[in-house]
Amino acid sequence: MLQYIVRRLLGLIPTLLIVAVLVFMFVHLLPGDPARLAAGPDATPATVALVRQDLGLDKPLPEQFIRFATGVLRGDFGRSLRTKRPVSTEIAERFMPTMWLTVAAMAWSVLIGMAIGTLSAVWRNRWPDRVGMTLAVSGISFPAFALGMLLMQIFAVQLNWLPTVGADTWRHYILPSVTLGAAVAAIMARFTRSSFVEILQDDYIRTARAKGLPETVVVVKHGLRNALIPVVTMMGLQFGFLLGGSIVVEVVFNWPGMGRLLIDAVDMRDYPVIQGLVLLFSVEFILINLIVDVLYAVINPTIRYR
Amino acid sequence: MKIKSHSMLFAALAVGAAMAVPAYAAKDVVFAVASQFTTTDPYDANDTLSQAMAKSFYEGLFGFDKDMKVIPVLAESYTASKDGLVYTIKLKKGIKFHDGTDFKADAVKANLDRVTNPENKLKRYGLYNNNIAKTEAVDDSTARITLKTPFSAFINQLAHPSTVMISPTALAKYGNKDIAFNPVGTGPFKFVEWKQTDYLKVAKNENYWQKGLPKVDSITWKPVIDSNSRAAVMQTGEAQFTYPLPYEQAETLKAKADLDVVAAPSIILRYLSMNTQQKPFDNPKVRQAIAYAINKEAVAKIAFSGYATPADGIVPEGVEYSVKIGVMPYDVAKAKQLLTEAGYPNGFETELWSGYNHSIAQKLTQVLQQQLQQIGIRTKITLLEAGQRVEKVESWQDPATAPVRLYYIGWSSSTGEADWAIRPLLASDSWPPKLFNTAYYKSDKVDGDIKSALLTTDKTEKAKFYKDAQESIYKDAPWVPLVTEKLLSAKSKRLSGVYTMPDGSFDIINVDLK
Repeated sequence: MLQYIVRRLLGLIPTLLIVAVLVFMFVHLLPGDPARLAAGPDATPATVALVRQDLGLDKPLPEQFIRFATGVLRGDFGRSLRTKRPVSTEIAERFMPTMWLTVAAMAWSVLIGMAIGTLSAVWRNRWPDRVGMTLAVSGISFPAFALGMLLMQIFAVQLNWLPTVGADTWRHYILPSVTLGAAVAAIMARFTRSSFVEILQDDYIRTARAKGLPETVVVVKHGLRNALIPVVTMMGLQFGFLLGGSIVVEVVFNWPGMGRLLIDAVDMRDYPVIQGLVLLFSVEFILINLIVDVLYAVINPTIRYR
Repeated sequence: MKIKSHSMLFAALAVGAAMAVPAYAAKDVVFAVASQFTTTDPYDANDTLSQAMAKSFYEGLFGFDKDMKVIPVLAESYTASKDGLVYTIKLKKGIKFHDGTDFKADAVKANLDRVTNPENKLKRYGLYNNNIAKTEAVDDSTARITLKTPFSAFINQLAHPSTVMISPTALAKYGNKDIAFNPVGTGPFKFVEWKQTDYLKVAKNENYWQKGLPKVDSITWKPVIDSNSRAAVMQTGEAQFTYPLPYEQAETLKAKADLDVVAAPSIILRYLSMNTQQKPFDNPKVRQAIAYAINKEAVAKIAFSGYATPADGIVPEGVEYSVKIGVMPYDVAKAKQLLTEAGYPNGFETELWSGYNHSIAQKLTQVLQQQLQQIGIRTKITLLEAGQRVEKVESWQDPATAPVRLYYIGWSSSTGEADWAIRPLLASDSWPPKLFNTAYYKSDKVDGDIKSALLTTDKTEKAKFYKDAQESIYKDAPWVPLVTEKLLSAKSKRLSGVYTMPDGSFDIINVDLK
C-alpha cells in the first residue's frame, strides 16, 4: 500500500511537467498584450515598454519558460503582474477561505445527499423517493448565481438574519455553503440512490434479511457500506471542483477565495497567477484521486493495491 | 440603521457606534467599491479607483474640488515663467507627514525625481517624463519645476490624484516597491491595514493640517465585486456608500427610506469612432450620414436607462475649455440623402466593435445596429474582451491595415483639461499603438490648434485654440459623440460630504456620519 502511494506520488512529476508546459503555452497564446493592459489607458508607448521590461515579458518565450520552470522548482512562482506580490502569497491568502467553504459545503451536502439517496432507495417509487428526487433535480437545475442572490435577498436583506458578504465568522459561511452545496447534495442523492437500489437486490442483502436482521441494520451496515464506492468517487470529483473555487459563488458573496483570484487574473492577463492557480488545481485533483483510491481499500477490504 | 448584532468586523464597528454615547460615538464609514485596489501608490496605479482611495492618505500640491476645478492643496500659489517652461511653486508651511517629518520642497523633488526615473519602472513614468526636465528645491517652501517643452496643462497634471506627495523619509525607508504597502502621506487619514482580499482601512489623522477635518474616525474601503451584492450591502446597512450602482438597482434602492440614490454629472464621453483612413469612412459624407442616422436620445434611454445625456460636443461639459456645440441631430432622411450622394444608395456592410463587453455595451451596439440598418448599413457586432481590444485596436502596429471600422468606446480626461480630452484621441501623432486615435483622424488644423494651445499660458488664447479644434472636429465628424454618462451612486441618508467627481473619482474630505 505504502509502496503504491509513493509510486503514485512519483508519477505526479511528469504529469505536472506536462501541465506546466501546456499552461505556459496556453496562457501566452491568449490575445492581448499584458504590458499594455497593465499599463492602463493613459499610458504612453514608453511606459508600456517600461512595464513590459519590468514584467520580464520582453524576453523570448523559451527564456521566459525556463525562468518560470526553474522558479517553480525552487518554490518561486513569480510575482503577480497586477499587485507585484509573490504569486505564492496571493494564492496562500486565498487558499484557506476556499478550502473551508468547500469543506463546509461538502460536509452538509454529503450528509443530506446520502440521507436523501438512502431514503429514496429504501422507499423506491413511493412518496419519499418522489419528494427526494424532485429536490435533487431542482438542486441540479437551479443555477448557483440565482440561488445565491435569492438566498441573499431573503436571509440577509429582507430578514436580516445573516450577513451578506465577507468571510469573517461562521455565520458568513451559511449562505455561500448552502449555495455551493446545493448541486453537490443533489448529485450525491442521485448517486447514492442508484447505487443503493442495485445493492438492495444483491444476494447478500437477501441473506442478511433471511438471517432475521432488523431492516435498519441491513440497510446501514450491509447496504450503505457497499453502496459507498461510487459515492466516494463522486465525492472526490466534486471536492476537486469546489476546491478550484466556485467563481459564481465567490463573486456573489464576495468570498476572498481562489475563484475570484482566477477571474481577476484572467481579466488582467496576470500570467504568473493563472499559471500558479492551474498548477495548484492539477495537484489538487491528482492528490484527491489518490486519496479516493486509498479510501476504496478502506471501505472494501477486498480491494488491494500493488 | 438596521443592523443585527452580527460579529462581522464592519457591522460590529457600526453597532459599537450605535451603542456609544452619541457625542463621543466612533464614526466608522464603510465604502463598497466595485473592484480590488491594484496598489496604494498613485504613481504606479492606472485605475481611477485606486487613486481615489489613495486620496484618503495622500495629497498633491494641487487637487480638484468636487466639480473638477483646480484648487491649491499643499501648494500656496504658483507662477509660470513667460516662456511656459519654469513653474515656481510656493508651498504651505507647517504641514507634517504621518511619520512626523515636515513637508518641505525636498518632498516635491523626491517624488517627481522618483517617477521620472525609468529605473523605478512606475506605470505613470511616461506621463511625467514626457514633460518634466528637472525639479529643484529652491528653499524649504519653494519648489521649481522646469519643463522640457511648454505644457500649459501642467498645473492640471499636478492636480491629478496621481501626483501626490509621499514622505521622502518613508520612501527611503521602505523603498520603491514596498512603499505601496506602507503609504505615508499628509492626507486626512492614516493608513491602517490593507487586507488584499477583503478591505483597506484608514483612520483619522489627528494632526491633519485643515482644522476640524476629518469628521469621521475611520473609513473602510471594501471591494464588493458583484453589483447586486453591492446593492445588498447598502440595504442591510453594512456599507454607507457605494459606487457604481447598476442602473437596474436604482429603483429598488430609491424606495428605501434610509438611502439616497445620486446621479451626478460626469466627464465620461461615449462615442463611436470611424476609421477615416479606410473606405467608405474616408468620405466625410458617409461619416455625417452615420451621425445623422443615430438617435442619441434613444441610446441614452435604452442603453443607459436614462442615466446619460446626449453628447453636445467633442469635449464634455465640465472639462476645462470644452465647447458646447449641440447634439448632432437625428434625421434619417438627411442621412439617406448623404449616403446616396456619397455613392452608397443601398448602404454597405461593415464591422461594429465595442471596446467593452458588459451588458450596457451589448444593448448599445444593438441599438446602433438597428438604427444604421434604417439607412442600409448592415453591421456585424463584436464585443471585444480586454485582451482582444488591446490586440486588435490599441496595439495594432500598422495604421494602413488596422481592422477597426466602427468602434464604440469612451474616455474621460483625467486631468480635467481639454488637452488630454483631445490630443490622445484625435491628434495625428496619437494613432495606435501610440495612443488612442482609433478614428485614425488627421487634420493639420486640429494638430496645429493642439500644439499652439500647449505653448501658450494665456487662458483666453488657449480657449480660442481649443474652440477652433473642437468645431473643426465636429464638422469633420471622425466620431459620432453619443452620450455623456451620469454617475450613479447610493448613500445612506446619515452620510454626508461624499461626492462622486465627474471623472469617477471621489471627493471624501468632508465625509461625515450622523
